[in-house]
Amino acid sequence: MEPILNVKNITKAFSGVRVLKNVSLTVNRGEIHCLVGENGCGKSTLVKCVSGVYTPDEGEIVLNGQRFTKLTTQQAIQNGVQVIYQDMSLFRHMSVAENIAIEKIRAKGARLINWKDVAGIAAEQTRKINVKIDLEKEIFECPIAIRQLTAICRALAHDAKILVMDEPTTALTKNEVSQLLTIVQELKSQGMSIIFISHKLDEVFSVADVITVIRNGEKIGDYNRAEINEKRLSELMTGREIDYPRYRRDFTENTPLLEVKGLSRKGHFNDISFTLRKGDIVGMIGLLGSGRSEIAMSLFGLNPIDSGEIFVSGEKVSIAAPQDAKRRGIALLPEDRFREGLFTDLKIKENVSSTVIDEISPRGCLDFSEEDRLAEKCIETFKVRAPSRETVVRSLSGGNQQKIVIGKWVETKPNIFIMDSPTVGIDIGSKAEIYEQIHNFAKNGMAFLLISDEVEEILANCNRVLILEKGRIKTILEAQDLRQPDAKKLILEEIGSRDLQPDTEPSTK
Amino acid sequence: MKFTIDRYQKILIFIIAAYCAFVGFVNPAFFSITTVFDIIRTSSTSLIFAIGLLVVMISGGIDVSFMAIALFGSYTTINIMIAYGIDNLAFAVGLSIIFGAVLGLINASLINWLKLPPFIITLGTQNLFHGIMTTFVSDKSFGAGVLPPCLNQFGRATLFQIQTGSGTIGLSASILPVVFVALATWGLINFTMIGRGIVAVGNDEESARRIGFSPARIRYYVYVWSGILAGLTGIVYVAQINALYPNKLIGGELPIVAAVVIGGAKITGGDGKVFGAILGVLLIYLLNSTLILIGLSSSWNDLFIGSVLVASIATSSYQERIRNRKNLIFTD
Ligand SMILES: Nc1ncnc2c1ncn2[C@@H]1O[C@H](COP(=O)(O)OP(=O)(O)OP(=O)(O)O)[C@@H](O)[C@H]1O
Ligand SMILES: [Mg+2]
Repeated sequence: MEPILNVKNITKAFSGVRVLKNVSLTVNRGEIHCLVGENGCGKSTLVKCVSGVYTPDEGEIVLNGQRFTKLTTQQAIQNGVQVIYQDMSLFRHMSVAENIAIEKIRAKGARLINWKDVAGIAAEQTRKINVKIDLEKEIFECPIAIRQLTAICRALAHDAKILVMDEPTTALTKNEVSQLLTIVQELKSQGMSIIFISHKLDEVFSVADVITVIRNGEKIGDYNRAEINEKRLSELMTGREIDYPRYRRDFTENTPLLEVKGLSRKGHFNDISFTLRKGDIVGMIGLLGSGRSEIAMSLFGLNPIDSGEIFVSGEKVSIAAPQDAKRRGIALLPEDRFREGLFTDLKIKENVSSTVIDEISPRGCLDFSEEDRLAEKCIETFKVRAPSRETVVRSLSGGNQQKIVIGKWVETKPNIFIMDSPTVGIDIGSKAEIYEQIHNFAKNGMAFLLISDEVEEILANCNRVLILEKGRIKTILEAQDLRQPDAKKLILEEIGSRDLQPDTEPSTK
Repeated sequence: MKFTIDRYQKILIFIIAAYCAFVGFVNPAFFSITTVFDIIRTSSTSLIFAIGLLVVMISGGIDVSFMAIALFGSYTTINIMIAYGIDNLAFAVGLSIIFGAVLGLINASLINWLKLPPFIITLGTQNLFHGIMTTFVSDKSFGAGVLPPCLNQFGRATLFQIQTGSGTIGLSASILPVVFVALATWGLINFTMIGRGIVAVGNDEESARRIGFSPARIRYYVYVWSGILAGLTGIVYVAQINALYPNKLIGGELPIVAAVVIGGAKITGGDGKVFGAILGVLLIYLLNSTLILIGLSSSWNDLFIGSVLVASIATSSYQERIRNRKNLIFTD
């Protein structure tokens, strides 16, 4: 075994707060090395030290035997470090093709751009991971899953020696994920080293050779995959045992809060009908292109429908704009938090209060103490790891940003809460807390439409599940189906994807 | 990358065409080759300014010192030429460009060093450059008689002439630098790594840094290029008016900014087209120079330009919203 990357005793602080404390890490050639830990524990910061985005305050980085105390991004790229950043780091007004190709062309030292090369590189990469993307579109026109695939393609376009993937799968559904993990295995067999970060432990266990646990900026230890299981790993990460409570609806009142009849939009979804009653948590699951996010957008007035009817509390309504939805007590937690969920340059408190700004501004004047109180409550309820409510959201870790999104929509106290992938990028411990909150709200009569790609999430929360395929409801599972021991397998079969299996071959070293 | 005319540019072209038709309807004298040549001649300096500013705006910056740079470059250069009796157009252009490049370099250095918004910095350097010029170079005006004759020759030169009812008119040679600058900048932005770096930095500085671009370095290129274009424009301007004043140009920055924004450049950076900027300038010039033809006093100017500006910003943000909505299409 030959180390290709050696991180030695790195310490990094932001304005006096130490987020990495004396962390060391060794990655060998041809190894898949997973980093796990709670939100804000310092995984992305560690990655950015390795790629030269941040300069550590103490410690050094040895890449290919070369020592660096002040690694630059260029040096890192030259030494074969490629990163898929958690925020994807794409250029909004450039085409998908250029986003994929530009770094590679730049690194070759080209002074001129040959657009045929750009198209060629982009086509080759998308073919490699077997996805179809419109390469001419500009990034800002693309949905988040496409952007994530673009970021993946860009990193793969390089002949990297070390590929760092910081939560590369948050916007992808099962099939793209397993496609991606197959590629990761392939790259490994070609001798590439991979650092893989994910909060989805099934992914971690299906690819990892070594798992490094970080807690609170400190390294807890390195573990071979064989010597550890999911339960033990979650304990190491969080310091406690994680158990997802199951939800049970116990309302006798069955009048629907929301009733949807024959909702259709050409090319998006077709003939969608379902009802939400008080205290229902209805799950919606399906692959990329199943239409689940589009339905959510339509119910929130962001995606006009062609036909169909929507009833709120028995009254027929037309929802043409988000204001209509808000007035009817419908809230949407969007899938794309960067574009639709957060003002990343504003403070935590300003984000939290943004959805209820009218309510907390009596006579048009913002009540600052109320704003502070809401922010504190959000930080407290969802255990947001941040120095204070004044912190700018951009400097929060990915998972903590997501917690702010949830917090600000909860404040609107909706009757009907549509959550599109609410816990992407959230650590397993915080998930349990968020589920608990969801259950509490549901017990108080709120109705949820929960879109998710994680079967565990669906099973823990939902009392009914709609399985979508190509824009249609394919199967509906009721509470009793979900309580069967083989419910997970059933759902996976129905959505038409395979579960991630830990590869059982002995890892070649 | 092929040269394409996007939707927004089509709208601009349509507006320009419709307005021309309207003016021609009110005053048929408008439809003449003289008008076309006139607009080309009078708008040429603004066009070069706008193209320089466009590059700055694509990079996510802004520059309000380009007029001061143009004045500094041309005024200082011509003073030197008068003092030493030099009469050579290439010398004039060359030296003025060098002054422009140096002042652009100063702009970029200050922005990189102080890390303050470019608007504040260039607002400061605008005064600084002008102050240095009037204090240390000179603050006298020069009439046609003392200027090097080569300037006036260039200012009056025509590429070719056409016989019309009211005499001969020619296409001003000032169009040459405009065409050259437009092509060079278009090539720079679309076909060089530096150009793509400019776009990248304008889109997201942090992301650009992560893939190895140096935003500080990119800013040097951007402001030096806009300085060079300003230096060039200074000479073209003096050649056209055939007189040298120490206080012209300055104060005329905002219509250029407006033109570039009307041309579709994003104020937030990362997006903008040379052709769009050209259309923006033409539209403003058209409004400026035709008010009299349609019987309005020139006090309508600001009102018109203001309305077009607001309308264009509204259109582009509306288009963006529409496009964002279309994004909900997750499968194509
Ligand atoms: N640029 C920054 N300025 C200030 N604080 C920062 C900055 N970047 C990160 N932090 C802080 O450092 C800590 C670690 O953040 P990091 O992004 O490394 O977490 P993470 O382990 O990747 O979490 P997640 O799983 O949520 O992505 C967080 O508390 C975060 O607020
Ligand atoms: Mg992270």
